[in-house]
Amino acid sequence: MTADVGARRVAARPRIDLTVFLARYGTLLSLVALLIVFSIARPDVFPTVDNLLNIMNQISILGTMAFGLTVCLVMGLFDLSIAAMATLGGYIATFLLVQYPDTISVPVAVAIALGVAAAIGVMNGLIVSYLGISAFIATLATGSIITGAVLGISDSKTIITGIPDAFMAIGQGAIILGVANPILIMLGVGLVLWLMLEHTQLGRHLYAIGGNAEASRLSGIAVKRYAPFALAVCAVCAGLGGLMSAAVLGAGRPQGVGDGYLLNAFAAVFIGASSLRPGKFHILGTMIGVLLIGVINNGLSVMGVPTYWQYIVQGLLLIAALFSAGVLTMRRR
Amino acid sequence: MLATHGATVGPASASAEGSCGGAFLEVEGLVKVFPGTRALDGVNIRVGRGEIHALLGENGAGKSTLIRQICGASQPTEGRILVEGREVSLPSPHAAAALGIAVVHQHFNLVPQITVCENLFLTEGLPRRGGVFVHWGEAYRRARALLSRVGLDIDPRAMVSDLRPDEAAMVAIAKAMGADARLIILDEPTAALLPGEVGVLFGHMRRLAAEGHAFLYVSHRLAEVFEIADCVTVLRDGRNAGHWRRSDMARREIINAIVGQKSFSEAISSAPVRQGDVLLRSERLGGGRVAEMSFELRAHEIVGVAGLPGSGAEEALDLLYGRFPATGGRLVIAGAPVAFRSPRDAKAAGLALAPKDRHAESLLPGASVRENISLPNLRRFAADPVFRFIRRGKERAEAQSVAKRLSVKMAGVESPIASLSGGNQQKAILGRWLMSGAKIFMLNSPTAAVDIGAKAEIYDLIRQIAHDGAGVIFTSTEVEEFPRVCHRVLVFRDGRIAGELVGQDATEANILNLAAGGAE
Repeated sequence: MTADVGARRVAARPRIDLTVFLARYGTLLSLVALLIVFSIARPDVFPTVDNLLNIMNQISILGTMAFGLTVCLVMGLFDLSIAAMATLGGYIATFLLVQYPDTISVPVAVAIALGVAAAIGVMNGLIVSYLGISAFIATLATGSIITGAVLGISDSKTIITGIPDAFMAIGQGAIILGVANPILIMLGVGLVLWLMLEHTQLGRHLYAIGGNAEASRLSGIAVKRYAPFALAVCAVCAGLGGLMSAAVLGAGRPQGVGDGYLLNAFAAVFIGASSLRPGKFHILGTMIGVLLIGVINNGLSVMGVPTYWQYIVQGLLLIAALFSAGVLTMRRR
Repeated sequence: MLATHGATVGPASASAEGSCGGAFLEVEGLVKVFPGTRALDGVNIRVGRGEIHALLGENGAGKSTLIRQICGASQPTEGRILVEGREVSLPSPHAAAALGIAVVHQHFNLVPQITVCENLFLTEGLPRRGGVFVHWGEAYRRARALLSRVGLDIDPRAMVSDLRPDEAAMVAIAKAMGADARLIILDEPTAALLPGEVGVLFGHMRRLAAEGHAFLYVSHRLAEVFEIADCVTVLRDGRNAGHWRRSDMARREIINAIVGQKSFSEAISSAPVRQGDVLLRSERLGGGRVAEMSFELRAHEIVGVAGLPGSGAEEALDLLYGRFPATGGRLVIAGAPVAFRSPRDAKAAGLALAPKDRHAESLLPGASVRENISLPNLRRFAADPVFRFIRRGKERAEAQSVAKRLSVKMAGVESPIASLSGGNQQKAILGRWLMSGAKIFMLNSPTAAVDIGAKAEIYDLIRQIAHDGAGVIFTSTEVEEFPRVCHRVLVFRDGRIAGELVGQDATEANILNLAAGGAE
């Protein structure tokens, strides 16, 4: 039965369908539309180079975390520990720098913070692969453990004094052409992960496992080794996001750093999965999702719309994006 | 009058009368037309009171359609159904149940996570106090009564998931019998049962039959039919193909009636052109349902592995491919002993598996034809040894050349695999392993859900693979495919190779006979 249906569809394929077109390019079109609307509404403030760089700067932490999240969602793994991981990354780096100002340099502190995040990510993956616990639950649990551990170590005190300028430069400086460092970090992470997912065997295996784990296993892919890798990448990106946040603020907060990013990161990745290649998580799509969120938030505040509208609009946007992706997925069946 | 009930076709027309005792159910000249086919074309069957009547036939012979008419799930186009001598119409399963006709489906229709009692009252609802609260005391009392009628001594509060399969079967029968079933239709009730459990089930059936309950028993397992059935009716292509009573049942005749006269011009039924080197040798290898198996596979050879469901035939392929661990014996590939811990090891040794369920086990559903073909072969496209950047151009060119060789019909290798027909999807799967250069192809039902034209192409492809020097191990749920595809057939029974049929001897009838417990 399916065979016959499939055969007929081969012939029907070249026709371009409006629904398919909208599902594929709807997100991109709404991004362009929003840019135009905000530019017309506030021509003096919104469409300036400064403001556009400002938007990029505002989304850089979210973008970095969302790129990492894309990697594990490609495999079908939900990582809910990214909020706690962000808090952890920022706190560990500032804690080390303040506690051991003479022995630990900024690069070493960053390396240790990201290393700890990677180790926890690997642990998440081992729990998923070898204990057979779903990533959703496993990362919810490890997230709680991390939150508790950081609170305990910090005695709930924020680190403010003694953070070296070299560290704060990560968030506040601009090494190349006056472009803020967080933007460069986000773009760098995005580029590396895009190359990895799209152009290496590793990335192709991640997509294959997300598509059909048993088919991948029968094709000789060591399926169980990939969850620790994907969750470690995601954890490092989350830790890096938190570290950037600490550098921007000049403070190591022991709680709540990542909370605002958790939902937005998922929203961005899912919006991204509705654009260009519907139903697939991919870095370029995530970038569009992150930009969309950034533009909405910036545009609405530039226009003086109360902050609570940002939440409402984001929620509506997420539903619209998932609906359009869902329509296309249903039609493909 | 009597002659019209009996078989008019087939070797048993001598024993023409279609029933053993007084008739409970009579079906006369039943016709069921679906658009394009006559699924039933004048079927007669007569089931006596207290009779265990087996209904046999290949897939598509019309067994399920006949049962659906008898139990009121569907209405016949022509013909009469009589219950206790009176013509009846059965507009719904409810109407059939009211006349005492009940059906137990293959998987028993029980919900495992709730209790026996709750299952027994699933259809009619649990007894209530004042129409609101469940009257558990009454429910358990009635459940015990139902269970004791089928001779089952279990606690109605037990979870169905905790029961043995034969107990679950009896619970399903108790549920089907409900108030007062006179005819119980069993659709492959033993498929999930172990041999010992089948014996227990048969004991219960005989006792219920002695009390006057009739059974219409559908099965593929001939050995069981000979053990339990009072009468046998065989259907073929929607018609009666024979009828036997216990006294004159003959295995060969029954098998011939099931199989019919078939001729395949393209059947291989002869030795391969060349005898190649031994690619694989299994020495008493066992694991899972496979107790042990010893055989050799040579290059250029297509070896069939046949057997009834649960016999170990299908599991043999999974075992060889390392999908589950071997518990005994030895596997030798190209002269060297191996121990596969995973499919990864098997693939590395040159094995390939095309599993039975294409969608669940083979395809990347959202991916392109190219990505599906290159799935196990990405390494060969790596531009560097560290990052393994994929050379997309080379990948596309090789995928294209494989797809062209197999004449996969598609818009292009970048088309979604989901846009291809089943047959072309299967060709892409085979192409995946051709590209990998596998030396041993293991194919489980490669033509399942594939249309007839594509089937022939896939048979040709299998022959080509063997011709080009690989060895092929083939299994299928359709017995008629073995003579068409294989040079020789290993027939499994109870986890062991019961016998081997070579060349002209590997007929459908011989395979069925051996699988069902006959001599070679």
